[in-house]
Amino acid sequence: MTEQVTDSSFKDVVLESNVPVLVDFWAPWCGPCRMVAPVVEEIASQYEGQIKVVKLNTDENPNIASQYGIRSIPTLMIFKGGQRVDMVVGAVPKATLANTLEKYL
Amino acid sequence: MASTNGNLAQDDKTLGAMKKFAEQYAKRTDTYFCVDPSVTAVVIEGLARHKDELGAPLCPCRHYEDKEAEVKATYWNCPCVPMRERKECHCMLFLTPDNDFAGEQQSIETEEILKVRESMAASS
Repeated sequence: MTEQVTDSSFKDVVLESNVPVLVDFWAPWCGPCRMVAPVVEEIASQYEGQIKVVKLNTDENPNIASQYGIRSIPTLMIFKGGQRVDMVVGAVPKATLANTLEKYL
Repeated sequence: MASTNGNLAQDDKTLGAMKKFAEQYAKRTDTYFCVDPSVTAVVIEGLARHKDELGAPLCPCRHYEDKEAEVKATYWNCPCVPMRERKECHCMLFLTPDNDFAGEQQSIETEEILKVRESMAASS
């Protein structure tokens, strides 16, 4: 299972990570979040050791979600060196997500 | 917000109303539910929760700074403006037939929705 980050752990886990981080901003009652969750899990195993993959529940962690301007859910955001470098919105195919990630490895 | 036995009847009434709305609206707009019925179920449940908590079925697939203000603004109350104007439902409740994820159904069993509700309660 992918690690869940919170408003309080976000800085440590995501911003101070030594490797790029893929953050899955999701909410419990969001249909497409269910579609993208297995894709995110697959990406996590495929790139194990190269990137970190975490999930953030926007209902429970509204501060980080608002800080990064999350509107549509799911939003998949890539962080590198403490900065947001890219994002993909909606339930996307695995290839789309992989192609976006490859740019930051 | 967790349901208690005390308001279960009210929950179910709203859930039934949202299910009926979704089915009728799909038929009226020639759109279809997702091939994965758990997607449809979770969105209908999310809409019903917002209806109970906020008085309007605010889209459950968005993050809001202030839910009460969004309800008043009405833009993201289901069916939202993008759906009404362009049949765009990013929540994947109403899918046009050309969408890769569109199934063939415009109705959903109540049992399916209750199953998702139970699985969510168990995992939280």
